[in-house]
Amino acid sequence: MAYNLVSPMNPLKNLNALALFLPVALLLAPDQAWALQSHGEPEGIYVHQMAHIFYAAALGYLFWDVGRNAFPGKGWRYLQTFCALMILWNVVAFSGHWLGFHIDNSEIMRSSGYFSSQIMGPISGVKLIYFCATLDHLLSVPALFFLFLSLRTLYRSSDKAETE
Amino acid sequence: MNNLPLAPAIVTDMVGSGFIIVFSFLSLRYAWLLTKKQPENFLWGFLFYFCLTLGAFAISRATGHLLKHILLFSGNHELWQIFSPVSGGTNTLLMTSLAAVTLYYHKGIEGYQAINRKAKSLKEAYDQLENAADQLQGMNLHLEEKVAERTLELSASEKKFRNLFNNSKDMVYFSDPKNHLLTMNSAGFKMLGYPSEGAPALNLETIFKHESDWESYYNTLLSQGFIEDLEVEFAKADGSTISVLLSATAVSDDKNQFCGCEGIAKDLTRIKTMMAQLSASEKMASVGQMAAGVAHEINTPLGVILGYSQLMMDDFPPESEQAQNLAIIERQTKACRKIVADLLKFSRQSESAREDISINEILMDVLAVTQHSLNMDHISVHRDFAQDLPPIVGDTERLRQVFVNLVNNAHHAMEKQGSGELTLSTRYDPGSHEVVATVRDTGHGIPENIQTRIFDPFFTTKSVGKGTGLGLSVSYGIIQDHGGRIEVESPVANRPSGENSPGAAFHVKLPVMLVETASVRE
Repeated sequence: MAYNLVSPMNPLKNLNALALFLPVALLLAPDQAWALQSHGEPEGIYVHQMAHIFYAAALGYLFWDVGRNAFPGKGWRYLQTFCALMILWNVVAFSGHWLGFHIDNSEIMRSSGYFSSQIMGPISGVKLIYFCATLDHLLSVPALFFLFLSLRTLYRSSDKAETE
Repeated sequence: MNNLPLAPAIVTDMVGSGFIIVFSFLSLRYAWLLTKKQPENFLWGFLFYFCLTLGAFAISRATGHLLKHILLFSGNHELWQIFSPVSGGTNTLLMTSLAAVTLYYHKGIEGYQAINRKAKSLKEAYDQLENAADQLQGMNLHLEEKVAERTLELSASEKKFRNLFNNSKDMVYFSDPKNHLLTMNSAGFKMLGYPSEGAPALNLETIFKHESDWESYYNTLLSQGFIEDLEVEFAKADGSTISVLLSATAVSDDKNQFCGCEGIAKDLTRIKTMMAQLSASEKMASVGQMAAGVAHEINTPLGVILGYSQLMMDDFPPESEQAQNLAIIERQTKACRKIVADLLKFSRQSESAREDISINEILMDVLAVTQHSLNMDHISVHRDFAQDLPPIVGDTERLRQVFVNLVNNAHHAMEKQGSGELTLSTRYDPGSHEVVATVRDTGHGIPENIQTRIFDPFFTTKSVGKGTGLGLSVSYGIIQDHGGRIEVESPVANRPSGENSPGAAFHVKLPVMLVETASVRE
């Protein structure tokens, strides 16, 4: 029969042919390639916000794991405090960035100089939260202080352990 | 509500940034110190990298914030617009890194814990091994002490039994399955007459004198496993015989196969001699009693016969046949009376004097009487008298008779061979407080089988008419009467070589009684 003279179709052979054809086609028509994809301006802040979430999650994990392993001594408790404060800082910073992204520049008056900048009234809840968020160092500085305490305590306790 | 001033926020931001840098670096310092102190601790390693990343983040962020404030304060808004994305991007990157370091911490801690578990397990194994090694070392030490202690005990025990083996006066021997003597103590070699060093290989079977004894010994040992107080005779190196009392135990191997024996043999020769002497002594005593009784009974009729024969001799002229017959009767009766007198002397029924006497003098007297006849038969006489001989208490005449008898016997033993040597010697034995006088000849000797009978009354080896067989019996009786004893030795062992010489020696041993001597003097 006639169809018996035609060899059966081989899918692997077709894939190999396609893999050879595509690079050649892209080289011949570069303006149609999709190698580069530009993003809009908010990509940076999105990535930054995602980094805050990632960082907060990592700190949450560290807090949990230190508790789970029940490492003995005050040093580890200070580290947990650092984690807790830094998680809060991440929340505050995340909120601050988010609110700052949504508050219009016209709402902040800088006409009398940088140090005289003010958030224009009437002061809404959003503006008030934004203002509080700008004071994030009130959380991050104590957090870093607890980290310092933690490491100093661990160092000193390791001294004692060696002496004993 | 009115405007909210941002100045507090700016001030807080600037001051806080400074603090952040300070605290992050202080933390980094302590983290670094921890890693330096315990480099193998994973947790300190994690904290160090965490603080390092945090420090970088703190610098990046604080620097960015300060730069922002400075640029905005100085009116360089455009410049800040340039730096702002760089600062923000760096912060994002470092924050992500910080999160990554923190998240990867758990993998590290798992690995660290796994390593710790392994290390702990290894440490436990090492501790156990160390404990086991300590225990083993302790045991080894203890074992060494034990071995040393046991070796000492074994050595002491071995020494004890070695001394017992070496110093035993009885023969102690060990033999193999073919009855070859493997080990024997020096007493055994001495008993058999072999030198301890260089003795020939001996077989138990060959040292048994009688085959029947050997068969009895060997068969009993095989069937019973031991043998106790078997009285047998051993053949000595020189062919002589010793009587021994033998006890032995068969030695078996693991398969209960006979593989030799160990035994002890006690020399009974001396005991047997003593027993024989005791027996002879008892026999002599009974013979003496009988002889005394017979002598008493015969003495009276002999006196009557002698008296009447002498009376009748007066009735006949001396040359007549009757007178000569009566003279024969008189002479024979006197001979009978002499025999009776000898019998009485043997049985100690005759009277005896007691005085301090010197054996040397007695022997000199005896030689003075007998030397002429000895010279006639070419018998040379040797004197070997001890000069410091203590005196003994006794009857001079009777002792002289003893030594005359002994010298005469020696003379008779040597006269047939035409020459010989007679040795008279004396010595003092301080051990037994006895004076020993020896009469030794080089004659034909006395056969072993008659040595126990020579002191019997009327026992003689001389031809009929030449001896009555009372000489040695009477001598025996006299010496017994003096509290001494008389021993015969034939052949004679030469001292100190131990070699035997033909002939016989009679040893007369008389006790030295100092107290009695003093009383006699008084």
